[in-house]
Amino acid sequence: MSNFSVGFRTKGAILVLALQGELDAHTASELEAAIRKCQEENSYQIIVNGENLQYISSAGLGVFMAHIEEVRENGGDIKIAALQPKVFNVFDLLGFPMLFDIVETEAEALARFENAEA
Amino acid sequence: MPVPLLARLPRAGRLGALKTRTRIVLLLVVFAVFYVLGFSYHLIRWTAEDPPATTVALLYNLAILACYGALWLLLSHLFRRRQATPAKIFWTTLVLGVFLIGLAFLLSRMGRPAGLTGATAGFDYDTGVPLTLATVIKMNLLSLLVTTFFFILLLRFRDLVLFKRTKSSQRNWYLMLGFMALAALTTFMKPPVEEISLVQGLAMVPTIALMVINSFRVSWIVHLTFREKTIIIGLSTLLLAMLGTGLVAGSESLLPYASPFLNHYSFPLSFFGLLAMIFGILYCITALLSLIFHLPTTGDFQRKADEMAAMHSLTHLVNQVFDPEKLVTTITASPVEAGSADAAWLAVADPVTGSLRPRVIATHNISPALVAELVDTGAFYQDVLASHEPLLLEQAVADHRLDARPGDGLGSLLVTPLIARDEVLGALFVTREVTHGFEKDDVEAISVFAAQAALALDNARLFEEQIEKERMARELAIAREVQHKLLPQRLPTLEGVTLAASSVSAHEVGGDYYDFAPLDARRLAFIVADVSGKGTSAAFYMAEMQGVFRSVSHLAPDPLEFLTHANRALASSLEKNVFISVIYGLLDLEQEELVLARAGHCPAATINLHGEARFLRSQGLGLGLDRGALFRKTLAVERLSLHPGDVFVLYTDGVVESRRADGEEYGYDRLLEALRAHRHEDAADLHASLLADLDAFLGDIDHYDDDLTLVVLKWHGFDLARAASVADAGQQTPHPRALTLE
Repeated sequence: MSNFSVGFRTKGAILVLALQGELDAHTASELEAAIRKCQEENSYQIIVNGENLQYISSAGLGVFMAHIEEVRENGGDIKIAALQPKVFNVFDLLGFPMLFDIVETEAEALARFENAEA
Repeated sequence: MPVPLLARLPRAGRLGALKTRTRIVLLLVVFAVFYVLGFSYHLIRWTAEDPPATTVALLYNLAILACYGALWLLLSHLFRRRQATPAKIFWTTLVLGVFLIGLAFLLSRMGRPAGLTGATAGFDYDTGVPLTLATVIKMNLLSLLVTTFFFILLLRFRDLVLFKRTKSSQRNWYLMLGFMALAALTTFMKPPVEEISLVQGLAMVPTIALMVINSFRVSWIVHLTFREKTIIIGLSTLLLAMLGTGLVAGSESLLPYASPFLNHYSFPLSFFGLLAMIFGILYCITALLSLIFHLPTTGDFQRKADEMAAMHSLTHLVNQVFDPEKLVTTITASPVEAGSADAAWLAVADPVTGSLRPRVIATHNISPALVAELVDTGAFYQDVLASHEPLLLEQAVADHRLDARPGDGLGSLLVTPLIARDEVLGALFVTREVTHGFEKDDVEAISVFAAQAALALDNARLFEEQIEKERMARELAIAREVQHKLLPQRLPTLEGVTLAASSVSAHEVGGDYYDFAPLDARRLAFIVADVSGKGTSAAFYMAEMQGVFRSVSHLAPDPLEFLTHANRALASSLEKNVFISVIYGLLDLEQEELVLARAGHCPAATINLHGEARFLRSQGLGLGLDRGALFRKTLAVERLSLHPGDVFVLYTDGVVESRRADGEEYGYDRLLEALRAHRHEDAADLHASLLADLDAFLGDIDHYDDDLTLVVLKWHGFDLARAASVADAGQQTPHPRALTLE
């Protein structure tokens, strides 16, 4: 009864993971698999779109922590965009804004990737 | 004194027995009275030497019918309750026949006037009046003996004809008896003549037809062993010889020279006896022929029956084995031991990896290496996995999935899936050295066996899983116990402050932690922490956090220092995706000051006496999120001077993120609201009230989704005068109101 899904989109070289539903200890493995797949395809520029993400638990946050290091070592980044206020609060309480680029919109995240390359 | 048998029977049974007994006595009386009456009638006729009046003759004939009717019922009572084997039926009939007919034969030989033979013997030719006393005695006794034998013959054969009875076979039997009686009654009050009348003939037709039909009811033969069959062949030949003697000798009765006596005694009775004899002969002939024809197939039939029995007993055995290893060996060996196959092996999908590639886990009469070499077990397995049906190869060598040559002993192959709860657990492969080695009934027998074996296998697995589950449950119960001991067993008592705390795990063990450490008489360090994730891994990190708190808080009590040390200490052991959110505080009773630092944790809620409430949301990363300088750089502390009535509530996200049935979270606002409502209560009451408010919000939900910890501190004000009497702060005494929820 998983009510979580990850949608893949590409914006040029940038991969967008659109999260939907609730990301908790049970569904974390799905995001885990999605990010691992990005790495296998050598895509290290990842935007996580949280527009439709209803809930995130600490186990869900752990998935970002598990991969950010490797992604950044490969010259990429995971940027988090369009979080709902309640979900953003969870990121914020733990201090994630100090570790990740968390932006208001997907477009802004794209722009940041482009700026970094320019 | 022994209790009479009747008294021990249940009431209904006793009544039944009484009824039966009364009936038997009654029948006996009827039989005896009418028999004696008949005898007397003949005596009178002999002395009177006159033909009787029609009325008297009618009465006599009726009396005889009643007499023998009673005899039939008596005998049928006698034989009804005796379940007999076919062999016993034949030999009892034969013995009784030899005895009764032998007696009759001797009797018919006695006192026979020389020169008088045939139908005229001993009777007046015209009137039929007996001429001598010997004739009277002979006619009465001969009739009794011969008729008794025929009755016994019919009653005994009844059990054979009605073996595995059906409605129609029962109907045919009683119809035959009815028509026999009817045909006999057509001769009622008629003089005994050789010619058969038209009415008699008409009644005979259905009688003979029914006799033929009933003669073919010989299904009891197939269940006999070879020995029993030969015995019965012998017995039925003798019986046939006995019944046929009269016919061969040219008489229409069983005994030569006896028929005039019988006919003059009662022609219907004699005629009924004749019909019974015809049926006896017919039945003996069909039985004899069937027996002879079935004799050669007895061995095959027996072998099949033995196989079935063996399969059945093995099926039973399979259900008694719980050890999976022994079970698969038994399952594989069974078809071979039952004689249904020459070799067998069992393939199952790997239960460990759950992969669909089957593994041969047991073989019988064939080596695993040979199976691997000759047979593509996987291909066959996929086949039965898809079809859920047995797969039969009559000529196995012709199949491309086999790499066998005719000499390899794989003539025919039968693959049967083991299906339990709609799931294919494995496949049983059985082979025969010959081609076309499995008949339809073999396939069926093995399928039935496979179904039972699958159930047994499934049960054994469930049993094992259950044991494993129980072991896990025990382990987890121990872990829970151990983790419970990591939390403070009693809360410290300090002057000027009251404390209350609780923690509940969503699972057996959890990742929440709270603790208090009185550093000296005036300082209390406390912590609430939440390890990311849930369950066992979280529980281990929680234990590590406890170790860090208990040691580091004494060495570096300052929140900034403590958290920096803790972050560094934990960095090496925490997994990349695991972090711990912590709120750490240091309460200084003398300075009336609280210093708090928040490392990624839910902000503490605070309220003062006037109801001014807020969350203390200072900056700070969770432990383990950054292992470098950023952690220290971004960590902020909050310094608060205390006023009496100030309350601080620390909690984990399980509190604010608890959701009721409609998905709504409890949230921060409700927490603050509840805090405002209950702020005047002391710590323990306030703690209970907050939990009650949460429970009321959640409604029916009786199980928390997440670990849930709640700690309440209330500052009452430090009384300097009483502070002197405070005992050594390191010594902890039980807190009467401390609440530790399970």
